[in-house]
Amino acid sequence: MNIGRFLSSSVTVAEMEARKIRHDTTELWIRIVQPALWLIIFGVTFNSIKAMPTGSFSYIQFITPGILAQSVLFIAIFYGITVVWERDVGIITKLLSTPSPRASIVLGKSLSASLRGLFQAVMIFALALALGVKIRLDPLDILGVFVVVILFAMCFSSLSMLLASFMKTRDRMMGIGQALTMPLFFASNAIYPISVMPVWLQYVSKVNPLSYVVDAMRSMLLSGSYENLPIDIFALLIATVTFVTLASITIKRLLE
Amino acid sequence: MEKRSQDVDNNNFEKAIEAAHLTKIYHSNIRAVDDVSFAVQPGEIFGLLGPNGAGKTTIIKMIVTLSSATSGILRVFGIDSSKSPETVRSMLGYVPQSISVDTDLTGYENLLIFSKLSYVNKKERNARIKDALEYMGLTDRAKDLVKHYSGGMMRRLEIAQALVNRPRILLLDEPSIGLDPASKMHVWESIKQLKQKFGTTILITTHDMGEADELCDRIAIMSDGKLAVLGSPAELKKSVGGDVITVNLTLAYPSITFPKEIGTIMHSNEKSAQILTENGEAAIPLVSNFFRDQKITIESISINRPNLDDVFMKYAKRRLHDEISSHATTARRDFVRHIR
Repeated sequence: MNIGRFLSSSVTVAEMEARKIRHDTTELWIRIVQPALWLIIFGVTFNSIKAMPTGSFSYIQFITPGILAQSVLFIAIFYGITVVWERDVGIITKLLSTPSPRASIVLGKSLSASLRGLFQAVMIFALALALGVKIRLDPLDILGVFVVVILFAMCFSSLSMLLASFMKTRDRMMGIGQALTMPLFFASNAIYPISVMPVWLQYVSKVNPLSYVVDAMRSMLLSGSYENLPIDIFALLIATVTFVTLASITIKRLLE
Repeated sequence: MEKRSQDVDNNNFEKAIEAAHLTKIYHSNIRAVDDVSFAVQPGEIFGLLGPNGAGKTTIIKMIVTLSSATSGILRVFGIDSSKSPETVRSMLGYVPQSISVDTDLTGYENLLIFSKLSYVNKKERNARIKDALEYMGLTDRAKDLVKHYSGGMMRRLEIAQALVNRPRILLLDEPSIGLDPASKMHVWESIKQLKQKFGTTILITTHDMGEADELCDRIAIMSDGKLAVLGSPAELKKSVGGDVITVNLTLAYPSITFPKEIGTIMHSNEKSAQILTENGEAAIPLVSNFFRDQKITIESISINRPNLDDVFMKYAKRRLHDEISSHATTARRDFVRHIR
């Protein structure tokens, strides 16, 4: 396989998405509403009643990386619906009949999810600053958060494409997405610390990938202590490579 | 080095597409394509004809490596499609049955993105895109989103993609379906142009006999997943033989049993019948006598040389009396509906 061609195809598929977003940005702005509500209503309220043992950080500081991770998760986990829709209008057929390797198409699609995730990250940063949330604004930390957002979106959007190859319809993918996001979200450290969970949920939280993503973001945005960061990113990288590979093998099933 | 010398050896008799005993079985029992063998010569326009559900699209999908054959061999310019799918796809351009351009991009962007994915040389890319837009009459609308295009313009954009990417083989699945006569002519002209200018080999599926007659050098007619007949339009017309007598009746009659000595019924419904005879002139009195004896009034009677419609009727006729085969057809239709 020619690596140069492989990467250029992936970038082209992401470029295709970027161009579409440029023609119609509505979706991006609408997607900001939900995390904004979490931060402004949930975050501000719980911040003032000080009900959560969030250590040396205020609750709204604590929740900001969690909401960022959650909103990227939502984009990525429902990405399969977009792919099913593109199958229905013939775009997937067209993409898969080009000489580009299938893995490069899947990789490009997962990069497209990352693009949306990045925009989300920028908007949440802006929102947090507007609300006066104190986050570390070291350029390297911000860059690190972007890297985690990209990997995280790639990981879960390729998982979503993998599932879509078997589920095949939008309705089923909607159901799957909902069945996955809520447990992932609530059984993680996104909106409360693991220490307040019942013991059984603490175990679930330890195998929940979202916890690791939130942990990585928190270490960069709040604490500045990076000892877990290499493991977090390595785990994410392994999962991403696995899901992209599996989805590349199964994506043809969407057309059957 | 070894591979190259082998390629040169094959060149003399290399076929653009070669299918041998190609079979595709869906859901463990539906034979969408059943032991089909054919070869497409380089530079020809090859038509794959047949009624809905005959297996034409399935064959195209196998060639584009979107679907894999259950058994049999498929080679594109000598390369086994199951072994080197990416190499095979690099020689192909595919225009699916339903519109497949991205409606959320502009016409220009559609050409740009897919030329990149087909690895068109960067230096030639922009000039080719400009030429293709111009040739297909889309220059004025190149910067508009495709969702604002008409159906004919979308089809032209798909042909423009083929002009930009210049595949060695172009696969067109029902290219003129749903087009007005003017757009259809335009599409036909550009297909011929591709063949003449670039020597592109073209495989086209259609059930428009006029289109097949206009474009194709050779035609294969499929029926129930099998290849019924293969030849040039002229050969096929000749193979039907004799003359076709068309009888139109003034009133509808539910069933007419026709004596064999006059000819064979190719197609009939309650108000008309097409009869294939060896000698049309001699058969007309027999036909008219027969209807008079049955007390059925004839509205008109005409005699024609067979055209491709007649060829199609003869070879692709559904064998409705054959229980097993009609059952299989229903099953296949249900399946087609299911996947849609």
